[in-house]
Amino acid sequence: MRSFSVSSWRVRWIGLGLAIGGASVPHYASAHHSFAMYDSTRPITIEGVVKEVQWTNPHVWIEVMVPNAAGGQDQWSIECTSVNFMTRRGFSKRTIKPGDKISLTLSPLKDGSHGGAFRSVNSLNGAPLALEPQD
Amino acid sequence: MRFLRPLGFVATGFILAMSPLIARAATQPVKPVVSATYADPGQPDISGLWVVTGAMYFAPDRTVPKLQGEYQALYERRTQAFKAGVAVDDMTADCLPAGLPHLLIVPYPFEIVQTPGRVLFLYEYDSAVRRVPLGVAVPAHPDEDTATYNGDSYGHWDGDTLVIETVNIRGDTQLDFSGVPHSDALHVTERLRRKDATTLEDQITLTDPKAYAEPFTVTRLYRTRPKWKISEYVCEENNRNKTDEQGHTRSGVSRAKPE
Repeated sequence: MRSFSVSSWRVRWIGLGLAIGGASVPHYASAHHSFAMYDSTRPITIEGVVKEVQWTNPHVWIEVMVPNAAGGQDQWSIECTSVNFMTRRGFSKRTIKPGDKISLTLSPLKDGSHGGAFRSVNSLNGAPLALEPQD
Repeated sequence: MRFLRPLGFVATGFILAMSPLIARAATQPVKPVVSATYADPGQPDISGLWVVTGAMYFAPDRTVPKLQGEYQALYERRTQAFKAGVAVDDMTADCLPAGLPHLLIVPYPFEIVQTPGRVLFLYEYDSAVRRVPLGVAVPAHPDEDTATYNGDSYGHWDGDTLVIETVNIRGDTQLDFSGVPHSDALHVTERLRRKDATTLEDQITLTDPKAYAEPFTVTRLYRTRPKWKISEYVCEENNRNKTDEQGHTRSGVSRAKPE
């Protein structure tokens, strides 16, 4: 198990994907570039405060400041899918805003740097996120 | 809307039969009873908005063509790099087109428009367009100097199935994001039919005498999304995943959004 320079309650491995051999891990509807750099078999959760949302194509980015073990903060870059896909999942440009307290699950970068591919929002400002995906 | 078409024919017949009596009414614009993207009653109707189902691998079961020679070696190199977290030769990272046949499995919707003599595929991804003329013979010796990302497509109907032959495809694109190669000798044959009211089936056969030891056939399904609309997709807007000097796609966490 890899370790991060952040306290364990803020970044924790989710064992479920490993336990069942990654069978339940969704394949990302990215379709701009290969997601070779992300490890989709080892999802992790981060908690922090949103610094910036880049609501852009080819991909939406969420920049999150996450407290680290040294008492400082690390900036995590979360690569989402496209504006088109996020919109169909029920997100809008204003769903997540700078200053929001967020907990999200991501597929981490294989090289261990502070970033990952977006999977889901666990909570936003302490509440679950209610989205209405387009059917 | 397909079930309404017979009503349309009946209504048209009625109007023609009664035309001396309702001449004024017949001159009024007739509201179309078929979809706006279907304008050739001579063709089976495969029009509408579709999106692929299943995995983003070219073959959902992750099988790959029987690669030979340098193409096998190339694929092994890419697979090793992928495991190490690096995508190699992935042109899409620089916002270049996925190309055919990758375009057939990108998870973005596309619209099929049928007009007399031609079928148009309007893709959300990259705003790509494929124009497929009907009844035009595939050139025996395609001009390799004019090879393109999506090649040149030629179609004809075989009963309820639209057969599309595509040639003149560049050799440097990949089948999917796992890096499966093909050569510039690739010939793509599609057999496209409406399987049921909400499902389109495309049986895709790749023939590539340079790269593949034998033809490779995959069947992909697409489902209708009547409430969706095609949106804009401009890859160059904020691309943080450009390849480096070695042609590698890495983390993409440059963070800065170009002003």
